[in-house]
Amino acid sequence: MTELPLAVSFEAFTDVGFWSGVLVTAGIYAVVTLGLQLNVGYTGIVNFGQAGFMAVGGYTMAILVLEAGLSFWLAMPLAVLVTMAFGVLIGLPSLRLRADYFAIVTLAMAEVVRLTAQNAQGLTGGNKGLYCNFEGVNQTCFDEAWKSVADPFLDWVQGFWPDADPLLPLLLVVWATVAIGIVALNYIQRTPWGRVLRAIREDEDAARALGKNTLLYKLQSLAISALLGALSGFFLALFLTTIQPDDYEPIVTFYAFGVLVLGGLASYGGVAVGAVILWTLLEGMRFVELPITEERTAALRFALVGLVLILLMAFRPQGLFGKKEEMVLGR
Amino acid sequence: MAAEEGNGRALLAVEDVVKRYGGIRAVDGAGFSVAAGSVTALIGPNGAGKTTLFNVVTGFAPADGGSVRFDGEEVARRPAYAIARRGMVRTFQLTRALAAMPVLDNMMLAAPEQPGERLRNVLLRPGAVRAREREVREGALELLEVFGLREKADDYAGTLSGGQRKLLELARALMARPRMLLLDEPMAGINPTLGRRLLDHIQRLRREEGMTFLFVEHDMEVVMNHSDRVIVMAEGRVIAVGEPHEVRSDQAVVDAYLGSPA
Repeated sequence: MTELPLAVSFEAFTDVGFWSGVLVTAGIYAVVTLGLQLNVGYTGIVNFGQAGFMAVGGYTMAILVLEAGLSFWLAMPLAVLVTMAFGVLIGLPSLRLRADYFAIVTLAMAEVVRLTAQNAQGLTGGNKGLYCNFEGVNQTCFDEAWKSVADPFLDWVQGFWPDADPLLPLLLVVWATVAIGIVALNYIQRTPWGRVLRAIREDEDAARALGKNTLLYKLQSLAISALLGALSGFFLALFLTTIQPDDYEPIVTFYAFGVLVLGGLASYGGVAVGAVILWTLLEGMRFVELPITEERTAALRFALVGLVLILLMAFRPQGLFGKKEEMVLGR
Repeated sequence: MAAEEGNGRALLAVEDVVKRYGGIRAVDGAGFSVAAGSVTALIGPNGAGKTTLFNVVTGFAPADGGSVRFDGEEVARRPAYAIARRGMVRTFQLTRALAAMPVLDNMMLAAPEQPGERLRNVLLRPGAVRAREREVREGALELLEVFGLREKADDYAGTLSGGQRKLLELARALMARPRMLLLDEPMAGINPTLGRRLLDHIQRLRREEGMTFLFVEHDMEVVMNHSDRVIVMAEGRVIAVGEPHEVRSDQAVVDAYLGSPA
């Protein structure tokens, strides 16, 4: 029927808008996956609840701004603290469990958070989510303070680069966070503290036998991961300009695991690269034109990502930047 | 070789310890004491409860009853890490080398009083952390030298042979500066040459540093020639305690464990 059974439009790949979207999304996922790397790659605790921490961070920030009337700049650090405390609260009973039980607890936690957000309509707006409050003629939105900084900056940039994408300010902030996160995490990983984490990953009993309070370290690891989850939750909220329960489905955590596996365990830099590759693949597939319906093309995107992961497992199981020795010897 | 240590102060005193797993009493009212500065062997047939007792004493399995006093302090329900910090450090029957970490990191991990193990100090006192790290590194390399593992310092611990892992685990435990070491089958699976070296280390540490040892062992030659006292367990209880030659001729021990005298 069609002359061209398969056509790929490469125009998209030279489009600033396309790359801005991909890079912002990839950056948001890089931030949240840095936390997973700390947990899974360096502490050996399998955390399936990152989407939950993102939701707690994002919702807390928005509620503090919209309901409590706090400034956005104050709401963010407070929301980070709330998310970290929440992580400790979840970890205290569950981190004593074996790794696989802990994984299930965190997955359930994230779903409880999401379903609570869906149903606590008075606070979270239910499925409509949170963005702005309307009181008579006055309207307050959670990202006003952000826009008051980002918009003038964008105007200034567009003064000499008219094609600059409106996402540019967010893109810069997100990737600055990724860069700072990678540097900071690499630093603390090389300290005696980081050594204890790796020992826990290798053999928690051996670490306990040498006088290490392993529960404390696992809690700290989880709290830092929650911090990164909260930051990533803020960025996602600013990117989507709304906070809705659907944005925090378990698939978010699984994408993050995809990023982790692609980049390789025990490499923070790998997380950033893995995130860019995964989202370039996922978004780039939108522009492949096939003689099938759009829904099927959409489904094919996931199949392709699955295929990439399978090939990776077959030919480079340690991921792009993971250390093969650590993978083989660790087991 | 075995010296009379009967007048030594009890560093470890275990009384009426009970540990149940479901309906099974793995340790069923066991009691004994270990004199400071002694080398004590813990023997018994498979399933006698030796490893379980080790686990209870070192906080890896909470006791269901009884008391464990280390240096006069009750530790029966304290967490494992706290007991280790008090100075009672154990090794495991199956070695627990941290395989994907270099040998040197295995050693440095065990050093006590490293401020850098607290995140706060990592951020606020990097100078103190680095200074301690240098000390620890030096001490670790010296100990590796003593144990003949110096040239393996940068290799992953997982690449060591079984015997070398045993040596590493002992050396690593020593990095923690213990007053008492509990060794669960230190000689199992290592060749005689390395085994002799390990025993020499134990005797030297006892002699030079007054360190106290309690070890589980099946090799009777090692037990008879290298321990001051022998504790015999069977079915979760201590059935005999004494010097090696006394235990060897004890009828209950012979019945339960040793079989016909060799």
